[in-house]
Amino acid sequence: MLKHQILEFAYYLDASKSYQKSKHFFYSILEDDKNRYKKYIDIFMITLIFISVSVLIREVKFHVNDYLMFFSNYIISFIFFVEYMLRLWVNSSVSKIIVTHAEHDTFLHREVNLAKAFKQILKVKLNYMISPKAIIDLLAILPFFHQLRLLRIFILFRVFKLFRYAKSFQTLSSVLAAKKFEFLTLGIFASVVIFVSSVLIYVMEANNPASSVNTLFQAFYWSIVTISTVGYGDITPVTAEGRFVAILVIVAGMAVLAFTTSLFVSAFTEKLDEIREMKTIEDVSKLKRFYLICGYEKISREVAKKLSIKDSSIIIMDDDQGRIEMAKKDGYTALHYNPGRVESYEKLNIDIDRQIKAVLCLREDDIENVYAALTIRSINKDVFILSLLMSDTNRKKLDFAGIDKIVYPQELVGLITKEIVGKPVAFEVIHELRSENLDVKIDELSITQHIVDNFPTVGDLGNKDFQIVLLGINKYNNDRFFFNPIDTTLLEAGDYLLVVGYEILILEFEKYLRTRVRDD
Amino acid sequence: MTKTTALVFGYNKYAHEIVANVVDRYKCVKIYSLHEEDVEKSGGRVEVFDLSDEWLEVHKEVDIENSMAFCLLEENAQNIFLTISLRANFKNLKIIALASNNENANKLKMAGANKVIAIVETTSDIITNMLEKPISSKILHSILYEESELKIAQIKIDKESHFKNEQLTSVDWTRYNGIIVLSVMHKDMKSEFIYSSKAKNHIIQEGDILIIVGYEADIAEFEKRIGSKRYVNWSHWSW
Repeated sequence: MLKHQILEFAYYLDASKSYQKSKHFFYSILEDDKNRYKKYIDIFMITLIFISVSVLIREVKFHVNDYLMFFSNYIISFIFFVEYMLRLWVNSSVSKIIVTHAEHDTFLHREVNLAKAFKQILKVKLNYMISPKAIIDLLAILPFFHQLRLLRIFILFRVFKLFRYAKSFQTLSSVLAAKKFEFLTLGIFASVVIFVSSVLIYVMEANNPASSVNTLFQAFYWSIVTISTVGYGDITPVTAEGRFVAILVIVAGMAVLAFTTSLFVSAFTEKLDEIREMKTIEDVSKLKRFYLICGYEKISREVAKKLSIKDSSIIIMDDDQGRIEMAKKDGYTALHYNPGRVESYEKLNIDIDRQIKAVLCLREDDIENVYAALTIRSINKDVFILSLLMSDTNRKKLDFAGIDKIVYPQELVGLITKEIVGKPVAFEVIHELRSENLDVKIDELSITQHIVDNFPTVGDLGNKDFQIVLLGINKYNNDRFFFNPIDTTLLEAGDYLLVVGYEILILEFEKYLRTRVRDD
Repeated sequence: MTKTTALVFGYNKYAHEIVANVVDRYKCVKIYSLHEEDVEKSGGRVEVFDLSDEWLEVHKEVDIENSMAFCLLEENAQNIFLTISLRANFKNLKIIALASNNENANKLKMAGANKVIAIVETTSDIITNMLEKPISSKILHSILYEESELKIAQIKIDKESHFKNEQLTSVDWTRYNGIIVLSVMHKDMKSEFIYSSKAKNHIIQEGDILIIVGYEADIAEFEKRIGSKRYVNWSHWSW
């Protein structure tokens, strides 16, 4: 009967959307770095840790306010306890383990064996509980029993909890973990040297009444102080034999120190690129909207320069180390990944829909551009892709790859030449309007509902007062451009005004449209 | 004055595109290449030239005053040398040159080219505009390069022009017969945006050029009404 109820309950939890949703929510805010609220939880916990430690320090010599003591001993411990239990809960799914076992037994026409399932649950939970992080979490709760004075020292374990919340600590431990074997070797070597020198100095000095080495502990203390090159001088060998041992320990101490230093340096040097890359990936995941430029050659370099002048965020991706170095030198966020591989986007954890404004395939090689465009299209159907075309014979292939806009430099040069030859002055005027070098600009102003409410028709806009020419309106509902619209033309939210005028006056005009409220 | 002969130096993809786009505008298009094999490839359409040429042959065959030269050699150094060589020999020849980037564009200007198209900068300008100002980019592209109904034209004010001696801003150009006047090019070859402080007080004179945008029929009507014609003027090109 009980077994039946447990099974029912496990199935219920496993299928319950609200239960799974709340579990996922707690998992996300506790463990998932990408969760936007996690950092607030982390900051809150770090603050609690510092409050605890401050209270501990203050309490040594002064009286601490009772409320603060209560807060430190009970409230903070309780919060840490709740956090510990939540982590234990979200670490693995009890219901899933029971359901998997039940399904397995049912499939094999066997009676469901819950004992096996519980054994696995116990194993999984214990594995978590004996992990270093979980042990620190548990020890940080112990000051709750503050009547036991010794347990107060466990407040210091709360400091170790910082490892959980500060990323740099995690990086440090991962760097050191990579050199585990070397550190173990160093530890063994240092231990042997300390042990041998302690015994030697004790044997040589302990029977001499003038020597301050009287116990094995003193010998051990002297060895540590000497080998670390600290050398307090409170205990010194007085016999010739003892001094000879001291020479050996000093030489061995230098070797241990050199070994330790080189280990730290090499560990960090080896991991430096990885750490930098992790930091870049983290930075990229925080960006809201950016252009992804695939390939860094002459044209993409110029496009990147122009886009960054306009304050647009850009990310460069290229599989060539040399080009990536050049992009980094130019001051851009550049990622050494192949834009033609799905794996690259997975590793970088880019949310194409949310983060990418447009993908620009700007390699001066049609094959590479098609490859990158197809890869991105296979991940996302909607993102805007623009690509360079280097040979007109490949145009169809680029179209087929799902590229939204193709830019063919040779065709552009042909068209520009035709215009220069036919209408040189007009071309110059339009060219100047498009360039960033002149005060007069052509610009697009979006029409919002606020503008429609206050300026229902073209005649109400008053653009002439701002010395602005209204070239036309791009209507939102049919994406058609209406040149030189008459005054009675109705404006709608989503329309765009195409205006020509002085940049500063366009800004003023835009401000006027967005802030002005109709008097009537 | 409209030029009658196009001299295209270089036989490559850019030359193909340019020739295809400008062939209708010239009575004669002559293509020159540095490589003999291009003569065969083009079926005899291409003539061979040498960078050390004194251009005597060209001078004999072509009316240089009425010609337009396109310097399209792929090698930057050769293209600059060609430009400087043409300029040294023909003071009044109009030269359009192609440069890979701005650095070479400056050198070509120094070598005497009247107009230089920098491929990298032009392409990147267009890409950036497409991304940042998609609507204006689309409209301007269609006005300039495509066979859209909306056109841009340059109208020269003639002796009998309707607007001669009127103040520029006394006319509401934005509503004038469906056309919009964007800018005016004064006799002193300075182009001014219609609302600029200088243009505001400008009295329209014979020889001024108005840059207008409008539908073909409206532009034709405008020409008829003001008694002036569309005009191609090369004289503002300085070098």
